Amino acid sequence: MSYQAPLFLLLFFPLTLLAYQLVPQKHRWKILLGASYAFFWSISGKLLLFLLLSTFSIHHFGLWLDSIRSDADAVIRAAEKPQRKALKEARKHKMRGVLALGILLQIGTLLCLKYANFFGANVNLIFRGLGMAEVIPTFQWMLPIGISFYTMQAVSYLTDVYRGTVNADRSLGRLALYMSFFPQLMEGPICRYSQTAEALFSGTPIRYESLTRGLQRMLYGLFKKMVIADRLNIFVNNIFNDYHEQGGIVILLGMVAYTCQLYMDFSGIMDMVMGMGEIFGVKMPENFRRPFFSKSISEFWTRWHITLGAWFRDYIYYPLSLSGPLKKTTSACRKRLGNHFGPLVAGTMALFCVWFCNGLWHGAAWSYLFFGMYHFFFIMLANLTEPLTRKVLDALHIRRDKGWYRIFRILRTCCLVCVGELFFRANGLKAGLSMFRKMVTDFSIPAPQDLALGLDRYDLLILVVAVLIVLMISILQEHGIPLRKKLAAVPVPLRWSIYYAALMAVILFGAYGIGYVPVEPMYAGF
Amino acid sequence: MEKLLEILETIQPDVDYDTCTTLVTDNYLDSLAILSLVAELEEEFDIEIPTVEIVPANFNSAQSIWEMVQRLEEE
Repeated sequence: MSYQAPLFLLLFFPLTLLAYQLVPQKHRWKILLGASYAFFWSISGKLLLFLLLSTFSIHHFGLWLDSIRSDADAVIRAAEKPQRKALKEARKHKMRGVLALGILLQIGTLLCLKYANFFGANVNLIFRGLGMAEVIPTFQWMLPIGISFYTMQAVSYLTDVYRGTVNADRSLGRLALYMSFFPQLMEGPICRYSQTAEALFSGTPIRYESLTRGLQRMLYGLFKKMVIADRLNIFVNNIFNDYHEQGGIVILLGMVAYTCQLYMDFSGIMDMVMGMGEIFGVKMPENFRRPFFSKSISEFWTRWHITLGAWFRDYIYYPLSLSGPLKKTTSACRKRLGNHFGPLVAGTMALFCVWFCNGLWHGAAWSYLFFGMYHFFFIMLANLTEPLTRKVLDALHIRRDKGWYRIFRILRTCCLVCVGELFFRANGLKAGLSMFRKMVTDFSIPAPQDLALGLDRYDLLILVVAVLIVLMISILQEHGIPLRKKLAAVPVPLRWSIYYAALMAVILFGAYGIGYVPVEPMYAGF
Repeated sequence: MEKLLEILETIQPDVDYDTCTTLVTDNYLDSLAILSLVAELEEEFDIEIPTVEIVPANFNSAQSIWEMVQRLEEE
């Protein structure tokens, strides 16, 4: 059962809404928790145990961290001033040990379930290369749904308790709901405890406004997912699964189509998730902000899967680059290399770790690691060449954020992103390299019938119109026009006509039924 | 405050620090600039800026940076 499935949309979600609204406010969180566990069970069955263990574990470790802090604080307050520094250090040391253990349990479980076979296979490969027998067996483990997402939430909760930005939660139920809230279980967004826990627990009643606004956003997401992304699926699969038979131009089209499919799928599901949250009065952090208007790769990652980027920034990049040794490196380098190149040394080391983890987070395969390193390379290159770029642009009197140069930067970023997605989608790194080689060397013009690849004229027309609609909405949003506010001000008959038209568009033009294969949300696999 | 403005000017000269309240949000200060700024502030004001303080709210304006520095000086 996934978010666009009829079972979910016509039965599970309405029943949950009904039950939620009918019970007294103080018990509503129990409905959400029950629905979340039922949703998890419907996909991953007994693997629910992993989610429960994760929840119990962070509950226990959170309280442990809290008790160390409060005990130590009492001692520090009673101590003489000269002794306080040493006592604070001892507290920090103890808490750091507990935090490390708590995180190790979370990340260790993820590593075992998601990455054991990948590491095992590569170790075996080395052994085989040395003429020795394989030593690591292969495991047939199933992955609990959303483990990569809820593990990130668990680590952020523990770290925030350690840092003192949130208090440890004594309520196991509230923590369990924070970890498992069903709309975000499959694909995020990766929320911080401080962003959603309280709202989830409060049982905000469903009002006409929250219901209509939420459904409106869900509908837009469903449109992106079912009309565009799922329709592109056939075309993309035909090209990527059969790339040996395709010329460079067809592969280029496949690459652009896949990038479009991934965006419409992931951002469409995110719209649905945000809409569901809105109905329950839970405002989750946005995961997309029109990424294809980005002027650089680093900007792209502040607009695409925003919560993942923010997680890596707050829990890996800054802690690493501002850790003792790297901070000293920055200070030393700044004196010798100046303001720009000085921090670059520490920044690049931390950035490498971020992109290594980012690549690996997406999946246990070399192609994902390549994907991470690919983005690391272009961000590092932009950082390194920044002073030179600035000088050249100043000399030529070109303003980087205006006019044709801005458009050039946007197009350049789109091209780089598309190539990255080619490797991301390809069936392995070898296939990705082979497709890329073909794309830049084989310029044979395909016959029109070779371009269809599972799509007829009707499909193409729907795709073009639907993409233009999304593009138009995105351009208006990019210019700061509050479309939803404007829509709310439209007279009721016209507003509801728009809603019905959108609903009809999904029902009539959605890529489901005969001739189409149901497509699971693409990021749920990560 | 004057010393802080001097530091900011050396790190990112193209900003009006008297009025700008979106230094991080609008990317005037990127992550590398933040690393420079943290190193410089720690050295100049003899403070330690923990990771938990590296949030947009503390770095979005010269005023908010100054308030953070003063708070950390007192601790």
